[in-house]
Amino acid sequence: MIEYAKEPFSDSESLAVLHPYIKAWFSKHFTELTPPQKYAFKDISDGKNILITAPTGSGKTMSGFLSIISNLLRMALDGKLEDKVYCLYVSPLRALNNDIYKNLAKPIDEIYESLPGKTIRKAGKEEEIRKITVGLRTGDTPQKERHRQLVRPPNILVTTPESLAIMINSQKFVEKLKDIKYLIIDEIHELANNKRGVNLSLSVERLAEIAGHDFVRIGMGATLYPLDEAARYLAGYSGSEPRDCIIADASWSKKLDVMAMSPVRDMIYEKEENIENALYKELNRIIRHSKTTLIFTNTRSGTERVVFNLKKRFRYKENIAAHHGSLSRESRLEVEDLLKKGALKCAVSSTSLELGMDIGTIDNVVQLGSPKSVTRAVQRIGRAGHSFKATAKGEMLALNRDDLVECTIMLDAALKRHLDSFSVPQNPLDVLAQHIVGMSLTKKWDVDEAYGTIRHAYAYHNLDRNDFMSLLDYLAGNYAGLESKHVYGKIWYDEKEKAFGKRGKYARVIYMLNLGTIPDEVAVNVFTPDKKWIGNIEEEFLMRLKPGDIFTLGGHLYKFEYAKTMKAFVTPAAASAPTIPPWFSEQLPLSYELANEIGAFRRTLGEALQKEISAKPRIRLTKRTKIHEEAKAILDSLPADANAKQAIFGYFMEQLLFAGAMPNDMQLLIEQTSNMKDEKGYLVFHALFGRRVNDALSRLFAISVSEKFACDVGMMVGDNGFVLVTDGEVKIREGNILDIIREMEPSSLRLILEHNIRKTELMKRRFRHVASRGLMILRNYKGWKIGVRKQQVNSQLLLDAVEEMDPNFPLLKETYREILNDSMDIQRAKEVVTKLRDKGIAVKFIKTAVPSPFSHNLLTFGHADIIMMKGRKKYLQRLHRLVMKRINSGSVTGRLHDA
Amino acid sequence: MMLNGDVELLDGMPIAYIKSINAIAVADLHLGYEGIMAKRGVYLPKTNLRKIMEGLSNAIDETHAKSVVANGDIKNEFSDVDEDEFNELFDFIKFLKEKKVEPVLIKGNHDNFVERYKEAFKLRIYRQEAVIGTYHFFHGEEMPGSIKKGETLVMGHEHPAIAVFNSVGKREKLRCFLYGKYKGSEFLVLPAMNYFAAGTEINMEPADKLLSPIFKELDVDSLRAMALGYGSTMDFGTIGRLRNVY
Repeated sequence: MIEYAKEPFSDSESLAVLHPYIKAWFSKHFTELTPPQKYAFKDISDGKNILITAPTGSGKTMSGFLSIISNLLRMALDGKLEDKVYCLYVSPLRALNNDIYKNLAKPIDEIYESLPGKTIRKAGKEEEIRKITVGLRTGDTPQKERHRQLVRPPNILVTTPESLAIMINSQKFVEKLKDIKYLIIDEIHELANNKRGVNLSLSVERLAEIAGHDFVRIGMGATLYPLDEAARYLAGYSGSEPRDCIIADASWSKKLDVMAMSPVRDMIYEKEENIENALYKELNRIIRHSKTTLIFTNTRSGTERVVFNLKKRFRYKENIAAHHGSLSRESRLEVEDLLKKGALKCAVSSTSLELGMDIGTIDNVVQLGSPKSVTRAVQRIGRAGHSFKATAKGEMLALNRDDLVECTIMLDAALKRHLDSFSVPQNPLDVLAQHIVGMSLTKKWDVDEAYGTIRHAYAYHNLDRNDFMSLLDYLAGNYAGLESKHVYGKIWYDEKEKAFGKRGKYARVIYMLNLGTIPDEVAVNVFTPDKKWIGNIEEEFLMRLKPGDIFTLGGHLYKFEYAKTMKAFVTPAAASAPTIPPWFSEQLPLSYELANEIGAFRRTLGEALQKEISAKPRIRLTKRTKIHEEAKAILDSLPADANAKQAIFGYFMEQLLFAGAMPNDMQLLIEQTSNMKDEKGYLVFHALFGRRVNDALSRLFAISVSEKFACDVGMMVGDNGFVLVTDGEVKIREGNILDIIREMEPSSLRLILEHNIRKTELMKRRFRHVASRGLMILRNYKGWKIGVRKQQVNSQLLLDAVEEMDPNFPLLKETYREILNDSMDIQRAKEVVTKLRDKGIAVKFIKTAVPSPFSHNLLTFGHADIIMMKGRKKYLQRLHRLVMKRINSGSVTGRLHDA
Repeated sequence: MMLNGDVELLDGMPIAYIKSINAIAVADLHLGYEGIMAKRGVYLPKTNLRKIMEGLSNAIDETHAKSVVANGDIKNEFSDVDEDEFNELFDFIKFLKEKKVEPVLIKGNHDNFVERYKEAFKLRIYRQEAVIGTYHFFHGEEMPGSIKKGETLVMGHEHPAIAVFNSVGKREKLRCFLYGKYKGSEFLVLPAMNYFAAGTEINMEPADKLLSPIFKELDVDSLRAMALGYGSTMDFGTIGRLRNVY
């Protein structure tokens, strides 16, 4: 049973479970227990599975380890401690592992120094008390150390998911793991929601199978929701029942002090440089007032830009540093080290510092632009205030008006503890394929036995047996088309005997060199004609470029000339604006829950403003228009500064005055408009359901429009809605859209989408990832690293060939599943369609001559990145001026009421 | 579609039929492709040979051609010959014999090994080029030898394709024939027959980046692209126009 711990244990109850020496050590170093420790010591000591969530600096590591160390010390004192691994600690980060290793060695040393005697009597002889040993095993561990661990296994082994996957397939090493008593999975919030974590959970269940007994499972992490899903992920299944697990939620033990800010009052007309100046001035103010500030920018280029500007403008020197994934490991470690020493005034990070390694005391976290999810916001802000009694202080500086609304509502939700949810990917067949090959290496498996073991992992507890069997067929080379077994077969599989096992001498090498779930990306390098390297773009972006297109890269504009073998050639462009929007495949998507909260806020504030407008039909909107009482009360309840409140008020007023309608959680506003740049027809769906739902909905609507009008339909998908673009000659009427909604059959949405995504770039890209995880396209073969480019068979043709071979080929099936369930949210899209059909969500259709304010960001489509603003902003101003002219032209009042 | 009075481009296929010599012309089969890729760690379903045989079988039935000219790069690459490639070549030749057509093999630089089947199958094999009737076939990685007046040049090697964009900006790549003049002679480039070789987008690349030396000697932009896909073959106009249309 999954159970929430109700009350923490008292300090004395908790300490009572520890060995007196450990207790003495603890009391010497700490005056009291932190919240997670009050939950953890006793339950772990009692051998219960437990999931502990708590913010940074709350003594989480100690909460997980101390009872274990206590137990191991007891064994040592009883002379029962042997050279075996009793505790396995897994975290997704090597850097964190290094930290943990050091943070364990020190207390153990201190505890041993405090022991009154150094020897015990065993079998009548004096014998030295064995020291609890700690070992580190990651991709960086030298061969010599690995060998030493084989000879003398450490009692506590600190490792990564990938290294664990290798260990359990090493016949010699796995012997040393058989006496495991405890498993700790740290940073569980970084694992439970992705394939890497699923891969780990399979390794864990295989380890349990090898050990032949259960062990205590301890999960630790920053906050996430729902916790019972995370607990199920951690504990897995025994037979058909989920294993017991206790949930100790100490995520909120740290107080939050947060504020959404707008650098200026007017985000539309204020000159770009003024906004930038104001932004950096504000950043500087925050940095000056704090000891150490951590800034998150969401993008790597943003990180570089901010560091550059802070240094240039305010003469910071080496006390400001950037930290992101493109930097070398050495420079990242250096920054982490400086932070720990308190030598930095400010660190700027894209996302890389949001994970839990110890980075010393941060007293302020600043987020530039929305991090797109409440949970992520709380995790990041939780980096501030190192002690559990401190308050975590965080500011969010918004980059445009939608961003501002989002940041404000996000922080409000964080204060109310409304988190967005995650889910564990269910039955990913590519990860399973990898594990089946791994399993085959260690022994001959009975098919049913293997199926049973796999289903112990939460992600596979519903695994369809047919899917499992088709994977065996694929891996054994039983597929027509993949039948040359000496080439294609990676496992041996006997259908009659119902058993599988290892095939050939290369299977182990292939497996070891290709395991892992993080796909290699194809970066297209961009050069000028004289071969100067500019940067890189994603392959799919290249696919969208036509010669002559102008795009931004690294803050400059370039004209695309041509591409050859994954190199793109460009010339610097003199133009003022890009002709093609920036494009990122893996932008953080706005979560469903947060979208809903924003929708509810739009409704509440919208209703208040509408009352005011109705009361004063001649209302004019200027910079000095005062916020009236009811709206003020709503805005004042939010964690936002004065600029921000004014900006939000203005934004909402404009939308209402101009369009007479506010899209919100109960009303889908569909706006037919033009973008004033071309002859095309634009249908803006102001859909606030989160981007994964919007992704699915936009395609569904696009397919319907395309079928109904026999035309091509372009799409732009954003967090606040989506846009369908058609040729100007296509005349779509309100009735057509209502028909389309009426005709949408929720149960057939999946099929329609599957059919539609078949030919998309997304499908090709994801299939390549899945094929790589599923060992159909190897990254590394017989010791040769295969460049992604070399693997590049035309993806569409590969897909066609696979589909022709078997439309239900497991890796193809997995690609559809990943897209529809992980990248999109087909389940919630179905719910939304159902609501639209039975009027749970109303549909309002309007026509506008120029786009309404809420559609401006959707139409200018781009990532809210300060670097990208240049061309976009002019266009935005033009749009806005037109809107304001109409609002304040006097003819508005009549139009307002008939709208 | 009819290219001219003597040459027909079979709809939707990378195959040309030449009436005056009653022959089918194809290029760049790259047999054994999947086997070679598997050796690089990419496991493709075996598709190429099956698709080639399907395509040729229909073409032969439709045209009653008496021979099939394979204009170079019959097998995939210049390396130790693999069992799979041998089997595929054997199956391919056997298939043609059973269809009662004569294989005419023009070797590219990769194709020395086809000699091994010469005796057994009584094959007509040429190195790099062959003149049959008024048609001067050459693979294309080298310049053709002396060209007689009235000859039509037929080449492979380049794997030509074009990129086109639909009205909302989606890019499509279509294999194509290229057709025009070289020094006063008719000049036809065949698309790749290999299933996995989607081709080089000629209208997206500067002419001096193309592979075949002959493109240095003529105006690539003056060639017409006969693109194929979705069951038909159509004239898309000159490469020059396709370069500038977007």
